[in-house]
This record gives sequence, C-alpha cells and structure tokens, in this order.
Amino acid sequence: MGEFNVRSDSVDVDEIMRQIRARIREKRGADYTEQELQQLAQVKLERFIDPKGIRSDLVQQFRRHVATSPSLPNFAFGEDTLYETHRGPVAAIRKLLRPILKLFFNPDRLTAALHIQSQVNEQAQERLARQEAREALTYEVIHNLTVEVTRLGIETHNLKMRVESLSSRLDFSERRARSMEGLTPARSAQPQRPQPSRQPAPTAPAAAAVPGAPESAGPLNASSGGRPDAPAGSEDGGNGERRRRRRRRRRRPGQTLADRQASESSSQSGADQDQSVDRADDGWSDEGGDAAETGDDRGGDSIDAGPSDDSSDQ
Amino acid sequence: MKIAVVVQRYGADINGGAELHARYIAEHLSRHAEVEVLTTCARDYVTWKNELPPGEERVNGVVVRRFPVAHPRDVGRFGRLSHVVFDTTHAIADEERWLESEGPTSPALVAHVRKSADAFDFFIFFSYRYYHAWHGARAVPGKAIIVPTAERDAAIGLSIFAPVLAGVRALMYNSLEERALIEHVTGRTGPGVVVGVGSEIPDRPDPRRLRKRFDLRRPFAIYVGRIDENKGCAELFSYFERYATMYPHGLDLVLVGTNVLPVPKHPRIRHLGFLPDADKFDALAAADVLIMPSRYESLSMVALEAWALGKPVLVNGQCDVLKGQAIRSRAGLYYENFDEFAEALYLLEATGPLGGILGQSGRAFYQAHYAWPVIERKYLDMFERLTREPGTPMAPRPGWFARRARTARPGAEVVAAAPSGAVRPR
Repeated sequence: MGEFNVRSDSVDVDEIMRQIRARIREKRGADYTEQELQQLAQVKLERFIDPKGIRSDLVQQFRRHVATSPSLPNFAFGEDTLYETHRGPVAAIRKLLRPILKLFFNPDRLTAALHIQSQVNEQAQERLARQEAREALTYEVIHNLTVEVTRLGIETHNLKMRVESLSSRLDFSERRARSMEGLTPARSAQPQRPQPSRQPAPTAPAAAAVPGAPESAGPLNASSGGRPDAPAGSEDGGNGERRRRRRRRRRRPGQTLADRQASESSSQSGADQDQSVDRADDGWSDEGGDAAETGDDRGGDSIDAGPSDDSSDQ
Repeated sequence: MKIAVVVQRYGADINGGAELHARYIAEHLSRHAEVEVLTTCARDYVTWKNELPPGEERVNGVVVRRFPVAHPRDVGRFGRLSHVVFDTTHAIADEERWLESEGPTSPALVAHVRKSADAFDFFIFFSYRYYHAWHGARAVPGKAIIVPTAERDAAIGLSIFAPVLAGVRALMYNSLEERALIEHVTGRTGPGVVVGVGSEIPDRPDPRRLRKRFDLRRPFAIYVGRIDENKGCAELFSYFERYATMYPHGLDLVLVGTNVLPVPKHPRIRHLGFLPDADKFDALAAADVLIMPSRYESLSMVALEAWALGKPVLVNGQCDVLKGQAIRSRAGLYYENFDEFAEALYLLEATGPLGGILGQSGRAFYQAHYAWPVIERKYLDMFERLTREPGTPMAPRPGWFARRARTARPGAEVVAAAPSGAVRPR
C-alpha cells in the first residue's frame, strides 16, 4: 500500500484524496470495482452482514410491516354507467334528457376517462399484490440471513475465546521455556554452588566425589519416598509438586501466595525477601495462575525456578 | 462614516452563524466608523417570538436598536408554502407570502430603515433570505450591501431574490462557491468580494485544563455546533460507530453544542454540551481534528477557528463550500462515503502523517484570509469603492397581475440546474 508523500510547502488535497481512494480500492480488491453500480444495494446488505450492527428484533420488526393490504373497491365504467339507476322512471327521464345534457358538456370524455381510471386501478391492485408476494419472499431471505448471521456471530465469539485461550497458553509456554533456559546454566554451575536442596540424589556418588559437596542430598533423597533408582528429574519434580501442593493447601480463599509468604517471612526475613516474593507472585498471578493449573504435571523445576526468572524479566 | 448593520437577531449570547458573523463585523467596523445595529426583539430563530425589549441598548459598546416582530412564525403555513414555492410551479405572490411567513416579519424595522436612509452611508443586511433583508434592501437600494450567507438550498432559486441580489450596491460573499452560485442564479455583475469573517481566537488556549475537567484521556476528533440531523450529525454518528469498530485504538469523538438529535450511547462518543467560548477553544486545541459533517454551509466559522489553532479539518465533500475551502486552504480532507471518512480520519490523527502538516497550512490560510485586519480592510475598501462609483437602479417589484401569474419555476429546480462543485485554486 502506498505511503503518503506530502511536503508542507506543496500540500495538494485533491492529490491526497486520490491516494486515499487508491488505498480504498486496494483494500476492497479489484472485484468490487465491477460492482460499483450495485453499491447502494450492497451497503444495505452490509447492515445485515455486520453482526454487531444487526438488531435482535429485526425479524419481528419486518414481520410487523409485512401485511396483506385489503383489496380496494373498483368500479367498471361503461357508456351508461353515469346514467344508471335502479328506478325505472328516473332511468327513462335521464335517457330522455341525455341529449340536452350533452349540450352543456361532453359526458363521453368523462366516461372514457373514468373507464381508463378503472383499468389503472385494476393494474395497480395487481402490482400491489405482486409486490406483497415479493415482500413475503424478502422476508424469508432476511429471516434466513438473520439466523445465519446469528449463528456466525456465535461461532465468531467462540473462535475469539479460543484464540484468547490459545494465546494465554502460548504465553505460559514461552515463560516456561524462558525459565527452563535460565535453569540450565544454574544446573551446569551446581558443582560450584552449594545448593543442597536442589542437588539430584542418584548422582550422590559423583557428588560425594566432589570436595565440599553437601551432605543434605541424603535426607532429601529419603524424603522423596526412598526410591534410590528414581531419576533425578522426577524426584526433584515430585518434591517441587509436593511443595506447591503444601503452598496451595495453606493458602486461604482471598489470600494470594504473596500475602501468605509475606506473613510467614515477616518473622523470618527482612524487607528484601518480601519484595522478591511479591515480584514472584506477580509473575504467577497475572497469567501463570490458571496456566500453572494446567501445567502442574510438567515438572516442578520450572515452577520453582519460574517465578524468580519471571521477576527478573519484569 | 455611519454604517447600519441590519440583522434578524442580535445579542452577546446569540450564537447563530449569521448573527455571530454580524456581531463580529459590527464590533470590528465600529473601530473605523460609527456603527448602529438594527434588529428585532426575537431570540428564537424558529418562532421569532418577541423576547427582548424594543428600544435602544448597547452590546459590547455598539448601539443596538430593536424592533418588535408583528407575529410569530406559523410553522404549518410556512411548511405548506415552502412546498409550493420550492417544489411546484407557482406565482411570485406565493413567494412573497412564503417570505412573510418565514419572518421575522417586522414592518417597524423596515419602516425605520426607510425613514433613516439619509442618516447612514451604508446599510449592511445579513442573510438575504429573511424578511428584513428583502424589504430593507428594497427600501434603501442605493445604500444596501448584503452579506447573503447563502447555502445551496432551494431558497436561492426563488425568483423574488434575483432582482434584489442583483440590484444592491455590493455583496460580501463568504466563499467563492457562494459567489459562483449567486452570480449564476441572479445574473449579477456588480461589485462583490469574498470576505468571510474572522474570530476572536485566544492567544493561549489551555487544552490540558479541558482534558482534566472532562476527564478526556484519549486523543479525539471534535464536532462543534448544534447536534442536529440537518447538520449531518446522524450520518456522522453512523460513520463514527463503524470507524470505532474498524480502529479500536483510533480517535474518540467529542461533541460540543446543544443537541436536538439524541446522542448515541457509545463508549467512544462524549457529549460535553454547550461550552462557553474559552472552553470551546480549549476543546478545539485539545482535539486532533475537527469534523464538519454538514451538507449545507455558507461558511464554517468553527472550521476557521480550528485552522487558526493549527488543527486540520475533515469536512463533508457534498458541501461545495466546505470542500472548496478544504482544497484551497490545503488544511483539510473531505469525505463522500464511509470508506473515505474512515481513511481520512485515520490519516488526520495528530500522530498520523498528515495531521501536523495540514494544521500548519490551516494556520497560514487563516492568517492570510481571515485575520481581522484583512477582513476590516476588505470592508473599508468596498465602502470607498461604492462611494466613488455610482450605483445601478434595482429592478422594480412586478405589477399586481405579473405577481399572480403562475410562471415561477420551483426553487429546487433552479438550484439543481446551477453549476455545482468546489472552486479550485488556479
């Protein structure tokens, strides 16, 4: 789509409007230019197609207006219609005086005009009947359109919700991936960092071989259910999950994790710790809250490490 | 030099377009000449009821003399006669009856004009279509100047106006389009100049004050004026609602003015009601763009005010005058359908590619053509010219039988046959 090239010393409004129209044509596509003659009709149709513009009582409104008109009385005019009467003597007198009447004006013209009018009335009545039949068909079309648009509206709404759900899941996955990436260097640096609670148990001999390796690996291993053959990840994950479950159990309704931890940590640690918990909770409470529910069984590593990484991102 | 300004309504709190125009002109000409305003006791332009006391008073230092209106407007009769003269072949007598029913029928005002013809050098009549201007100009044809404020509606096609507009000493037009229309319909060749009107623009409007007062946080487009279907507001609402759907992060719409038409309840449409001038200018300064949706305008003072404040304008392209001004000023865009409305509004946002540039052009256009020294000079030059040049006599009113011959064409038909379109700069 072309950009606007306008200099303040040479503004040409007509040229700008030409560019605007060109952009509109580009947006619409070439097909529409062939149908420009039917634009008016299309504009009317757009109101029905636009689900936000549709009236919920459209069909009722339309139905109200679709009613068959009563047929109007019509008269057949012939030559003698003007002089007709059910009284015999009066008819005779009229017939007798007709030549005298013709001296004053020409009733034949009047009769002819009324005869034509009668035919016109008949034709108009037929046209009205046909139009009303067409209205019934139009009603059908609009009714079907309304139903279809409603269905499409609901479908669009569902799709929108689905997109939102997928979007939040994608966000969670991205956060999780980032947490995992943050965790990998931490693990590779574990031999140098004394973090007893996160050291994997099955590699105890290797860990023991490292000078200064913490001895708390043994108790941690025992608390994981006494499974000496369990892989490191699963043990750590199980431990993390247990911790998380404990946290959830302790959290009361209406109380966030941060509230809970802040109250706990107030007796244990200083203001710095509180701050880090708050930030960690922010990371979860926004979108990880629901997403963490769905991702419970995907390993505890990320959940332990996630908040701290997230907080550093934010 | 002594000048009389004759106008249908007058007052510091009367804000109709032509009336405000008349007041500004009277107040500014009073610096160069002795000015007296002759007007009616009416305040309401629909009923013309006598609401103000007759007699003399001063408004912003200008002497104002008010005369009573003989009878208020009968809306039903006026409507019927409008149909007759606009849509059917009719007689000149019908047009005169239409003019009398339109009002403000003030024979006392016309009698005073006739009586005081020698006391004034010139009479400036505002709004050609009203009783006071037609009868007043016929009373003092050799001293009459008309500021027609003509729109492209059926009234200008009525045959009673042609001899008056062609026969007065001078016409002070609001736009080139108005001049082209009047010269075509009346065949006028006499003196005339496109003047328009300036405005009292504050030196330092305070947009932040208004934003804070009305809690306006988002960028917005503004409409200033009566919120009425005749002003194109129904179409504006319809277009804006569609625009708001297309551009969820686009501009909001802020409306300033009293509403005749209900304002739709929409989260992005705000109606601030009628605002005093200071607040109105703050609102214009706070806006990204002014929208003028009216199809019938002889001159949009609000558009001029927006340009004076460096704001671009988006106008209805079906109004020749507004479209022509947007083109000539290089300070606005126009629309003729929804697609153009949405696209142009999007481009005119303050952060868009055109808003700032067109705003600058608008400011320059206002300074060149509508600053008060320019306007005053055009009036004074015209007075000098008319004093030097002799006038031509006005065609007399047709006789009794000629007035009753049903030969006058429908006004709407005459206007439809007149050339249309914006006058482009050469």
